[in-house]
Amino acid sequence: MPQRRDDSPVIGRRNFLKGATLAGTAAAITASPPAKAMPAPPADTLKAALPGPRQIAAETQPPVKDPATQTTSGGDFMVDVFKTLDIDYLAMNCASSFRGLHEAVINYNNNKPEILTCPHEEIAVAMGHGYAKIEGKPLAFICHGVVGLQHATMAMYNAWCDRVPVYCMGGNIVEADKRMPGAEWVHSAVDIGALTRDFTKWDDQPTSLQHFADSAVRAYRVAMTPPMGPVLLSLDAELQENPIRDAETLRIPKLGKVVPPMGDSGALAEAAKLLVAAQNPVILCDRLARSPAGLASMIELAETLQCAVIDNVGRMNFPSRHPLNMSFRRGPVLGQADVILALEVNDVWGTLNQFSDRIVRSSRPVAKKDAKVITIGTREMLIKANYQDFARFPEVDLAITGDGQASLPALLEQVKRLVDDGRKSAFAERGKKLGAARLAMIEQAKSDATLGWDSSPITTARMCAEVYVQIKDEDWSLVGNSIRNTWPHRLWDIKKPYQWNGVSGGSGVGYNLPSSIGAALANKRHGRVTVAFGGDGDFMFVPGALWTAAHHKIPLLYVIQNNRAYHQEVMYLQAMAARHGRGIQNAHIGTTITDPNVDYATVARGFGVHGEGPITDPNELAPAIKRALAVVKRGEPALIDVVTDPR
Amino acid sequence: MKAYVLGAAVLMLAALPAGAQDASKGDAANGKRVFVSVGCHYCHGRSGQGGALNYPAPALAQTQLPFDGFKGVLRESLRDMPAYVEAVLPDKDVADIYAFLQSLPGRRPAKDIAILNN
Repeated sequence: MPQRRDDSPVIGRRNFLKGATLAGTAAAITASPPAKAMPAPPADTLKAALPGPRQIAAETQPPVKDPATQTTSGGDFMVDVFKTLDIDYLAMNCASSFRGLHEAVINYNNNKPEILTCPHEEIAVAMGHGYAKIEGKPLAFICHGVVGLQHATMAMYNAWCDRVPVYCMGGNIVEADKRMPGAEWVHSAVDIGALTRDFTKWDDQPTSLQHFADSAVRAYRVAMTPPMGPVLLSLDAELQENPIRDAETLRIPKLGKVVPPMGDSGALAEAAKLLVAAQNPVILCDRLARSPAGLASMIELAETLQCAVIDNVGRMNFPSRHPLNMSFRRGPVLGQADVILALEVNDVWGTLNQFSDRIVRSSRPVAKKDAKVITIGTREMLIKANYQDFARFPEVDLAITGDGQASLPALLEQVKRLVDDGRKSAFAERGKKLGAARLAMIEQAKSDATLGWDSSPITTARMCAEVYVQIKDEDWSLVGNSIRNTWPHRLWDIKKPYQWNGVSGGSGVGYNLPSSIGAALANKRHGRVTVAFGGDGDFMFVPGALWTAAHHKIPLLYVIQNNRAYHQEVMYLQAMAARHGRGIQNAHIGTTITDPNVDYATVARGFGVHGEGPITDPNELAPAIKRALAVVKRGEPALIDVVTDPR
Repeated sequence: MKAYVLGAAVLMLAALPAGAQDASKGDAANGKRVFVSVGCHYCHGRSGQGGALNYPAPALAQTQLPFDGFKGVLRESLRDMPAYVEAVLPDKDVADIYAFLQSLPGRRPAKDIAILNN
């Protein structure tokens, strides 16, 4: 049970005794027998019992002291634990259920971890999501365990689906008799973790400070061990606020080195054999590379095999302009593949099948029936029953359970051991053909980008090209993108580990802006120019995130692809209407963001962020980007509202 | 993807009755209006530059599809694309849209656009 406030007064008991005395007095006053009533009881039964020694002491001695100050608190100890975990930031929207910890952070430890003030819990968690993918470690997030956690759930689900560690905490008041009437009751729960248990790796509600220390370190290790994911600690308010009673016995366990699980060496050798012997092996990758080492291993494996790579861009897995990058030629490449290696691909079935969203939903495989499929990944180490983010079950010939990045060096070693001069020569020939195809793809992309070049609304190709030309000579990092905007990966030279960081995972709207701000926060210490594209619909969920960026001086160039709609839904509604032969004239109802059009630059300025736009003339883009970049380079956020064609 | 659409359209063309409407009679100005009013641009872009639904939607500016194949795709649709029946999109409008697409400027040499050559 949580500690009781050891200096809390015994007011309840004292008042009880007073009450008993008054009751006895009242009884004595009313003891006169009524004129015609039941027989009066014996007079002595109406008197209060004679006080015992304790009661006499309570009545005659000075009241127990009701202390107004304390010298230690559980929150201080919690901060000491966080120090050992190297957590730099604590994102939050302030709330009374964690006021103890909040106060400890700002006063006991000089605002470390640094508090990030967020106007919504979804913003705070999404910032942690974007931050972790750039920095390689989580930030901490805390909220009201009931109402704040409900706000946070969508962002936690995104982090879960995207296999990203976010260190979540919720304040709670566990003991019912300690809750103030009113808000503290509706803001408390027996088990706050029940709300998010389907999409967190682990949660706990510590009942002592030692329990907290153990669970806090465990939570970090669980979150950071691949497959990574969000964790949740419920922090009892009494535990945070009360004095430390057992300081001399408290200890903080060490975290130790976290080592990811590797695939079985025999299975990796078997995979290597298949890959080396294949005529047309293809590597698929998705949430694979989480550090520079992962990117380097991926490049080395592809170049050793001189095979095609199809990147689902869940992480920065493979350079966009690499001669072996066949991501935009996946149909023909997969159609010829005889061995397919899928590395941390969440939806293998969806990648290997073409699905049609028609009245009768149908699919057809895009790979040959006899193609061997190998998977290496951690998907099956972290799977739960309810939410279906694990996608359709794929038929696989060799399913190797283990972290993709951690398994790559061993796989690579096995591959190299098997490659003889004959295979090297065949590989070189294969690589040459792929390289030629890649060059043609780049030329095709450029040619495609010219279509509608001077149009208004502005094409997404023009928008992306205009941004790239102004950042390409900087140390840039692209940390967000609007739905199905493929132009950066088609036109830009994306090659460094931090130049791309994947997408939301759960496709929950409201991710892109705050996660980009979180990623920009991580990039800030490295001096990188952070840029992101994002849809207007996504922005409308979480505009307040801009205030956080301004308040904390987080430099980010955020470009809104403003198609004035939740456009994916416009198209779906169009398809439904067409299915019924009823025309599509009404498809805008409930799907568009017009009448009035939103002036995002003005909104940005209202939050203290530099705003440009709305820009409808493509020739005005370059000067607007230049002005906005100047703001970003001096350490502040800027927003450009670009009115674009739908896609 | 583009090749797939083209191939399927050619197959549809073979199944169409003779005497299909002559595309040259299309009114490009009206076609531009209809192209937007029935939402073709949602996936294919106002300039016919292409786009995406659940997968890439092909560019249609100066489409190489023959008119009857183009109309066949519109009527029956491919994969996730909405099908436009005659009651919603009369043959006249289809011809006008086709004329509009043929009237679009189409591609430019990428080398003429400096910022595409980084």
